[in-house]
Amino acid sequence: MMAIRELKVCLLGDTGVGKSSIVCRFVQDHFDHNISPTIGASFMTKTVPCGNELHKFLIWDTAGQERFHSLAPMYYRGSAAAVIVYDITKQDSFNTLKKWVKELKEHGPENIVMAIAGNKCDLSDIREVPMKDAKEYAESIGAVVVETSAKCAINIEELFQGISRQIPPLDHHENGNNGTIRLGNQTPQTIRRCC
Amino acid sequence: MASLTMAARCQDKRGSFFKLIDTIASEIGELKQEMVQTDVSLEDGLEPTEIPSMVKDMDNVCPEKKDLKSCPRDSGYDSLSNRLSILDRLLHTHPIWLQLSLSDEEVAGILQSQPPGIFLVRKSSKMQKKVLSLRLPSEFGSYLKEFAIKESTYTFSLEGSGISFADLFRLIAFYCISRDVLPFTLKLPHAISTAKTEAELEDLAQLGLNFWNSPADNKPLNPPAPHRPLPSDGVCRASRQLCLINGVHSIRTRRPSELECSQTNGALCFINPLFLKVHSQDLSGSLKRQSTRTPEVNGTESPRSPPPRPPPPSINSLPTSPQLSRTETQASMPETVNHNKHGNVDLLGKKPTPIPPPRLKKQASSLEGEGSNAKTLPVIRPCLSQEPTSGTAGSPGDAPPEQNLAACKKTLPTSSDSQLQWNGGRQRLSDMSISTSSSDSLEFDRSMPLFGYEGDTNSSLEDYEGESDQESMAPPIKSKKKRSSSFVLPKIVKSQLRKVSGVFSSFMTPEKRMIKKIAELSQDKRTYFGCLVQDYVSFLQENKECHVSSTDMLQTIRQFMTQVKNYLSQSSELDPPIESLIPEDQIDIVLEKAMHKCILKPLKSHVEAMLKDFHTADGSWKQLKENLQLVRQRSPQDLGVFAPTPDFVDVEKIKVKFMTMQKMYSPEKKVMLLLRVCKLIYTVMENNSGRMYGADDFLPVLTYVIAQCDMLELDTEIEYMMELLDPSLLHGEGGYYLTSAYGALSLIKNFQEEQAARLLSSETRDTLRQWHKRRTTNRTIPSVDDFQNYLRVAFQEVNSGCTGKTLLVRPYITTEDVCQLCAEKFKVEDPEEYSLFLFVDETWQQLAEDTYPQKIKAELHSRPQPHVFHFVYKRIKSDPYGVIFPNNEEENVSTS
Repeated sequence: MMAIRELKVCLLGDTGVGKSSIVCRFVQDHFDHNISPTIGASFMTKTVPCGNELHKFLIWDTAGQERFHSLAPMYYRGSAAAVIVYDITKQDSFNTLKKWVKELKEHGPENIVMAIAGNKCDLSDIREVPMKDAKEYAESIGAVVVETSAKCAINIEELFQGISRQIPPLDHHENGNNGTIRLGNQTPQTIRRCC
Repeated sequence: MASLTMAARCQDKRGSFFKLIDTIASEIGELKQEMVQTDVSLEDGLEPTEIPSMVKDMDNVCPEKKDLKSCPRDSGYDSLSNRLSILDRLLHTHPIWLQLSLSDEEVAGILQSQPPGIFLVRKSSKMQKKVLSLRLPSEFGSYLKEFAIKESTYTFSLEGSGISFADLFRLIAFYCISRDVLPFTLKLPHAISTAKTEAELEDLAQLGLNFWNSPADNKPLNPPAPHRPLPSDGVCRASRQLCLINGVHSIRTRRPSELECSQTNGALCFINPLFLKVHSQDLSGSLKRQSTRTPEVNGTESPRSPPPRPPPPSINSLPTSPQLSRTETQASMPETVNHNKHGNVDLLGKKPTPIPPPRLKKQASSLEGEGSNAKTLPVIRPCLSQEPTSGTAGSPGDAPPEQNLAACKKTLPTSSDSQLQWNGGRQRLSDMSISTSSSDSLEFDRSMPLFGYEGDTNSSLEDYEGESDQESMAPPIKSKKKRSSSFVLPKIVKSQLRKVSGVFSSFMTPEKRMIKKIAELSQDKRTYFGCLVQDYVSFLQENKECHVSSTDMLQTIRQFMTQVKNYLSQSSELDPPIESLIPEDQIDIVLEKAMHKCILKPLKSHVEAMLKDFHTADGSWKQLKENLQLVRQRSPQDLGVFAPTPDFVDVEKIKVKFMTMQKMYSPEKKVMLLLRVCKLIYTVMENNSGRMYGADDFLPVLTYVIAQCDMLELDTEIEYMMELLDPSLLHGEGGYYLTSAYGALSLIKNFQEEQAARLLSSETRDTLRQWHKRRTTNRTIPSVDDFQNYLRVAFQEVNSGCTGKTLLVRPYITTEDVCQLCAEKFKVEDPEEYSLFLFVDETWQQLAEDTYPQKIKAELHSRPQPHVFHFVYKRIKSDPYGVIFPNNEEENVSTS
């Protein structure tokens, strides 16, 4: 029997970049009707297999408006991972992302896995943030990066698989599930268990 | 919170639950086959209407068995009159066979010298789980085999078996009767299986592990049942035929002594919730109405409602009984019997008659209760004592149960000659019903929602049953209705769920039993745990000034609960040990609930008052009040709301929920209500737009709603939950919405005209950070020393009687210092006239100045026999009763 690990994942990013859409897509595609749904989309859970473990993501959405910024520490405390979302059609949202990364580095949990999601990649014809910028930035901070489209269900699973892989298994066995997916950095990091 | 996850789990495991139900159904079917009939003419007179209906229920459970003839069965009277059931024997003697800490070698050593079939239950360090170690006969090659015990969320089962049990005792009892996956049935040591009274069993249990090498074990005892008239014995053992020919011969009146040996204060009548559940399911249409009730409403206002439950068992009425295990098992006796009776009733005749309303059934069952209570009623005498037979038979393959069962099956004929085999497997039968339906109602569980969950799946899947604990709970009806409407399930799923919930609720009972037991223990000052809790509670209540802030206070309470939980899980004061009743991964959850009940419940009003004081004193309520006013005047858009908001009616509904929340003492239940509020908000948001909303939209709406509710008390409610909630729940859904509610309140508190849509004060940020640190760091394992810091001292004055105070007294504080403290606390003007006395065993001892009261207390607690003692601060010269006791024993006490 596989052990279930609960991993708190915090969603950060400007309002309107599609944070909750990404999660809704992730949780509701292949929806398992045996698992009771949560009461709303701000908090969702999904369990995925990873190596010989099961990762249960407890996904905490945050409000992206500036006025709620100061509440963020409550949401990202104790997180094993943070998904920071920007909108590839809005340069501003990418700048906000950098602020979040900085805040996480300064005040976030040690060893938090950071994953950058450039959402709305289906709208690449009005793109403002080049993919190259995002990749370079992600590499510089050792983060997972992937361009997603919640609308078209592109790379959503991959985003969370990328996070899963960066969570070191509890025992020291090899994860046995390495790289087939287009992701940036895969530097293994040591993660504190979230609870 | 917990119940949400419970619901989740339930859904999650729906498949396996159905499987479980099927298993149980087929078990019941087998039971019917295996059942040995008894003379039921007596019972027939009593309950003519209910029998067929119950049988009908049974058939619904196992339609595939419809072709089988059901047969009447043991009334249970006989086991009452002259023997203890296997379950009782197991309960009494667990110190012998339940040896969780035993090593491989020790077990091997013990079992080697035992006859085959003898077993021990222990925790294997190799497998990291409980195992059943069974002595095998020589032809098996090895003399010892271990069977792993699987613990799921609510049940225990043997690895590889499909049959699950609510607790270890029932599991073992079952395997004493049926081998299932074992090579043969388990056997109780001779001394245990032949003991005739509970007292005998208690004496054996006293030996504990030493039983195995004591003369009590192995020594062949005298033939059993000397008090039973030989003729009857002979008749029954020899021939079933006789019973068939003359079923009446075995009925006779019990002697009072026989009754007393097995029965405590009045019989109880319990309905097996499983059967009840199934029954109510048939009647779901007519019963639906009841689903809106709280479990504790005994329904005096409805014609349909059941009569009041029978009087509680003797737990509380035996205050002098020093041994909990004894109390418990005594209490269990009537239950067992009644359970048997129900099994009996369930399986009687098969006439297709209309189903009576539940009321009839319950009336009948209360009649039964009276019946077994009325000692003048004639009772059925057993023909054959199964147990002694199996007890004396030494060979392992010797399985009289199977033989008899087989015999029963063969002869299982039409109902007309069903009286044929009523004797053979009687004992087994009664036990069987106990073990197979691991769901039977449980002796301690007064608060079990016996009737309340009928027809309302959600109530048992969710947390409602738990709220029966909360006496002050106001309007559950309302929220209940609401809730069920929010779960729209297809009918078929509903009915399946309902079936599950029946099983589910019944599996919950060991948990509730345990919680009740812990709560009782916490009231008992003769136990160390009881002292801890009582001292702490009274200390807090009497020392209002001991905390500098609300956070400080709540934090210490949380810490204390964690420490006590730790103590309980390690101590031996719980008897039977919690591991035998609660699967391992549930122990912490159960202990947490128990802590709420025995610590938070008595402290609730005190904590509330204190929180209010703190917030009034520091001005934060005034600020909140002003800002609430301010925020309410703003439009939703000013708050960043761009989604539909609840209207006036919805806000009123939410307010009602928040008011209900205030009445709860359990932080988890409060969080449950918070989740309901959030769910309602989502419903409003989504109903009017059809899209899913994330935090960007939800948090502003939540802020708006909280402002509209205009309840200052919410502030303390949130604080209470945030500080006292079980840390393991902080990352889940409850933790999320709690965080959001806290955030919303913080926004409101800092909302000022000029900084609308501005940042929160840095102060709030700091507070949040500190809170996080606190809640994530204080997880050190406590030491027992931590709780020893309280001492209850009585103050006795000639004229004014006795007053008591709980003082903070650390272990190394001397009597001299305590005296000083007392002089201050009791405002004594001439302290040199007073001293600290220990009143124990009816004698007074003045404590010398250099002794340590806490050490003395510890010593008293560690004595094998519990002592009632008091520390009394009083005048040295004159005793209120005019007697002066010399303090000659003081040295003994203080040095030991």
